[in-house]
Amino acid sequence: MGNRSSLLLREEEIAQIQEETGFTPNQIERLYSRFTSLDRGDCGTLSREDFLRIPELAINPLGDRIVHAFFEEGCGDRVNFLQFMQVLAHFRPIKKGRDNKLNSREQKLKFAFKMYDLDNDEKISRDELLAILHMMVGANISEEQLTSIAERTILEADQNGDQMISFEEFCKALERTDVEQKMSIRFLN
Amino acid sequence: MPRPPARAPPSALLQGALLALALLASAHARPDLSTGAAAASSTTRAASDLPPAHARSTWAAHAEAASLSADAPPSQTHSHTLAQTQPAADGGGAGGGGTAGAAGDGPGATTPPADDPTTSDPHDGHGPVKRYPVAQVEFGRVETPFIIGLWIFCASLSKIGFHMAPKLSKIFPESCLLIVVGVVIGVLLNHVGHVNMQPLTPDTFFLYMLPPIILDAGYFMPNRLFFDHLGTILLFAVIGTVWNTVTIGVSLWAVGQCGLFGDHNTAPVLHVFVFSALISAVDPVAVLAVFEEIHVNEILYIVVFGESLLNDAVTVVLYHMFEAYSEMGVSNIVYTDVLSGLASFLVVALGGTCIGVVWGFLTGLVTRYTLEVRVIEPIFIFVMAYLAYLNAEVFHMSGILAITFCGITMKNYVESNISHKSHTTIKYTMKMLSSSSETIIFMFLGVATVNDEHDWNTWFVFLTIIFCSVYRAIGVVLLTAVANRFRLHKLTRVDKFVMSYGGLRGAVAFALVLLIDKRHIPLQPMFVTTTIAVVYFTVFFQGITIKPLVRILNVKRQEKRKPSMNERIHERFMDHLMAGIEDILGHHGNYHVRDKFKRFDNRFIRPLLIRDHQGAEPKILETYSKLAMRDAMEYMRRNASTVGNISGTESMSAIFRNYTAGNFNGNLNGSFSQLDSSTWNIDMQELEYNPSKKDLTDARIHHLLDEELCKPYRRHRRLSYSRHAVNDRDLSTQVNYRMHMNIRRMVGERKHHHKRSKRLNKDGKQNHVSFPGITQNGSAKQFSNDYLNEVLKETEDDGDPEVPKSASKEDWESAITFTAKSAHELASGSSSNELQKKTSRDSDADSARVTTPTATETTLPWKRGDDSDATAGPVKQSEFPAWCSNKEYLAYSSPSATFLGGIETPKVASVIGLFRRESTGSVNDAGSDSSLREASGGTASPASAGTVLLLEEAAAAAAAAVAAAGDAPAGPSEGAPRPRRSVTGRRGSLLELGAVPIPEEEALTLGSPQESPASGAGPRWPPPAPSSRRGSGARAPLPPPPPPRLAELSSASSSETSVEDDDDDAYDERRAIHRAQK
Repeated sequence: MGNRSSLLLREEEIAQIQEETGFTPNQIERLYSRFTSLDRGDCGTLSREDFLRIPELAINPLGDRIVHAFFEEGCGDRVNFLQFMQVLAHFRPIKKGRDNKLNSREQKLKFAFKMYDLDNDEKISRDELLAILHMMVGANISEEQLTSIAERTILEADQNGDQMISFEEFCKALERTDVEQKMSIRFLN
Repeated sequence: MPRPPARAPPSALLQGALLALALLASAHARPDLSTGAAAASSTTRAASDLPPAHARSTWAAHAEAASLSADAPPSQTHSHTLAQTQPAADGGGAGGGGTAGAAGDGPGATTPPADDPTTSDPHDGHGPVKRYPVAQVEFGRVETPFIIGLWIFCASLSKIGFHMAPKLSKIFPESCLLIVVGVVIGVLLNHVGHVNMQPLTPDTFFLYMLPPIILDAGYFMPNRLFFDHLGTILLFAVIGTVWNTVTIGVSLWAVGQCGLFGDHNTAPVLHVFVFSALISAVDPVAVLAVFEEIHVNEILYIVVFGESLLNDAVTVVLYHMFEAYSEMGVSNIVYTDVLSGLASFLVVALGGTCIGVVWGFLTGLVTRYTLEVRVIEPIFIFVMAYLAYLNAEVFHMSGILAITFCGITMKNYVESNISHKSHTTIKYTMKMLSSSSETIIFMFLGVATVNDEHDWNTWFVFLTIIFCSVYRAIGVVLLTAVANRFRLHKLTRVDKFVMSYGGLRGAVAFALVLLIDKRHIPLQPMFVTTTIAVVYFTVFFQGITIKPLVRILNVKRQEKRKPSMNERIHERFMDHLMAGIEDILGHHGNYHVRDKFKRFDNRFIRPLLIRDHQGAEPKILETYSKLAMRDAMEYMRRNASTVGNISGTESMSAIFRNYTAGNFNGNLNGSFSQLDSSTWNIDMQELEYNPSKKDLTDARIHHLLDEELCKPYRRHRRLSYSRHAVNDRDLSTQVNYRMHMNIRRMVGERKHHHKRSKRLNKDGKQNHVSFPGITQNGSAKQFSNDYLNEVLKETEDDGDPEVPKSASKEDWESAITFTAKSAHELASGSSSNELQKKTSRDSDADSARVTTPTATETTLPWKRGDDSDATAGPVKQSEFPAWCSNKEYLAYSSPSATFLGGIETPKVASVIGLFRRESTGSVNDAGSDSSLREASGGTASPASAGTVLLLEEAAAAAAAAVAAAGDAPAGPSEGAPRPRRSVTGRRGSLLELGAVPIPEEEALTLGSPQESPASGAGPRWPPPAPSSRRGSGARAPLPPPPPPRLAELSSASSSETSVEDDDDDAYDERRAIHRAQK
């Protein structure tokens, strides 16, 4: 199936995607075959259910959020291949001297930030952070403890005293982290 | 008559000790030709100075020590004397030495081994009767451990020495300096003439010195980093080492065939390969020693260091393989031998790893059950890791791999089981052991240089060094090219250079070359010499130059840091994210594998191995508690002075003003716009609350610690010595002196109780003002704004259930303001009349101003002995803790109440209670400014003995009250202004209170049940709601001040019922006295 579908990808589409995302044609074809294999309905788009059908993703504590991130950009509840690739392009490793449009450090951070920021107000509030912590840490920890962790975290990053983490503060808090490397993945050719 | 030989004559002993000191090399004999000769010659030397028997006893012991440790295999081919020594050594004690001595002395030695000085029975045979000696010296018995101790001592001393000379240690790595010291010692030994014993036997090295270093490396290995780069590390460790071995071996052999090596040209290829196998391995000890100092970035470090650890398996296998081959002879090797060599590599590597992992899990399991015996926790870590090492060695597997993986495995589980102190202990012990092992190794290397019989072959040495460097570089380049294809983080050219330059050879190679059996490989001396030369070259030349090179090449340095909360959480978040993305892509990369393992770990392993398994992200919690702890410590350290010296200027009202200014302005514009701010402020200023310094300090510390989720220590005064428990207080971390004192004062309150009480009557000062709005808050909140904010949010939820949820922040805050005000009114109202009437009795008032320090001490929540929450672990403090809504507790035990002095029994409505009652009644108009106006309209309660002051009057009245109280100097400015009450005259003094003008602080809170009908209803009133409504109290028919009941406070530490009984009695008494006074 994957093979057949990848054949369906036309040259100009590949070129367009390559232009937009920076993937090589090989990578695009490979990802397209993955895309079609995820696409159970054969309709050229993926729904949330398609994503969550991946067993590991379903048990990933952040699985929902990750899937949600794919639907952020496009409207509607389905994501087409271009959108799929655009999201994935954030995770391309940074190459020096190349055009790093989607995968710059800032873009990577932005992507992570948006995953926290559910209400799109460009700030991570205490509750948003708490929600993430809940997902990651799980149930064994008391609510108070989690709350104080969240508050401590916000306090640490918060610079303007609004009890929220803005994107600038987020970047600042992670400036010592090797985000370029941490949020990159080696795409097979 | 000569004494028995056991008692070495002082001179002999002296000489022995001198020699031992002069150099300690004798502790470890190297079983080669020279050993026996050395023993013999030294014995002869000694014998010339001393009576033969004595000489023998001393020197024999010496030689015996040597021979005991001469456990390296070959002995038969060695000298005749040594052959004799070894069987005798089995006899233990100095018997073996006796034999050696005898052999050395030749025919002159007639003492049979039975004369063994340490074991022979004194009554045996025909020996003379032994007289009981006054004192005796017996060096032989302790010689071996003594010399070992001396070694360690000297090595450590020299280490100190280096650090005394910072210039030196800036240029040279420590390992170089240690080797130099070793050489110097070796030369000295040479001059003394007692030099032939090789201290660094391979077995000592492998069994005792290497394990601590490797365990340290494994235990503190950054797991994440290690496994992230495991592929690269393995590539270098396996392929790289094989590559080096083969190329070096072939090259050396080829050059040898060309005739460059003179006599040794005929070296068979396998012998050369044995040598190349041992020389090609990068040495973990040397790498650690050098890389610890240059601080390259962590990736570079982990790749080089990981390689040096993991190549052990390869080295050991190759070495043994070639050794066995060369023993067999080239012609006898069949292909199965080659295959079994390959297979044995897998067995050695995987077997060692498995053994290590299993022992690691076992250690985790054992530490799960050490809750009751914390002191022995560290021993498990060390012993079990060591057992893993030995266990692997038993099966001829790689002990290094075993102990490395044991450390890596156990770390996570053990650390969540053991106590913090044990963790510190382990850390320090491990560092201590490994660094002293390392010190000794390098020193021995130096000594060995001088001692050995060298067979210097310039070309061989030179070419070996060249080949080592060149092939290392080539190998690195080739392998990084391969690795970079699969790596996200590509290794750059600079990285490659550092990696090839950091390929240091060291003690492992040296120990291995000593292991070579001379019978099979006659070139061994040349190999030894060459190895030493290579080690010197790498350690000296490369070790010294690598530091400046790293600087010149601008290698990314490693920055030491502890992860912040944000980093921890977001990085973890990214891990999950990347794992998810990998899943979507269908890759099974690093993240995927790690995620899988983590899940498995959390689900199955952790619950099994960890005592209280805390959810999925222990690291986040750990980071949090670490940071919280650090914050608390830092706060204390930074503000040590302020914590200790909260001055009188920082009064409650100042605190309060700050707080309100900070919050009201921002939040409460609406509801407070109409409020006359001047009135407000006057009010606040007049009510200058001057809590005693200690109160504030205590409160600060309490809140600080409470916020940070840590409980102050309870004082365990334990005078007895316990072998199985370490009192935590004994181990308190280093904090600066002031902070220490503060904490001590806090926990040691009870001790000072009596003193304080006695001082009380003399200078009973009034520094307690009842200030309900604030008392609820405790005093010390203002120092953390964020906390207040957080708290403000919570109050909405925590409040009295009667208060509608809709009660907004503003309402709540206004409640504070109002209670403050009304408290003041109360104070003025209840006491002003009396104050004015009885100004003449101010002096009396002074003496009578007695509050309840003991109650304070006994009832402050963090001082009470048996509080359930004290044991329930850290509890986050909310703005209105449980006691706020519990009226009885409030009256007796709330820190606020006790702070502020005036407190009555639960039967009497507290001021807070009054307000509460009002607040529930006037919820609707609460928050409206009009209520204040109404209050100022002069609706004095008919029932109240005092009058309710108008707001306008309040200021004046307060001023009067303050003035009245003014002759009692403001407390905090004085040393320990807490009002004190004599224990003996407790009731009497309190009783007087009824007659004298009621001091402000008592007046504020005390209500008289008799005089006030309203107060009768007091107990029925709902417990004070934490979120009292603003304005509620303003119209309150103020309850008249009750007779002072301060006495009861002092007994608040006892149970409530007893307090109540006490209360009644006291009350009666008081009344009686009151009447009498009138």
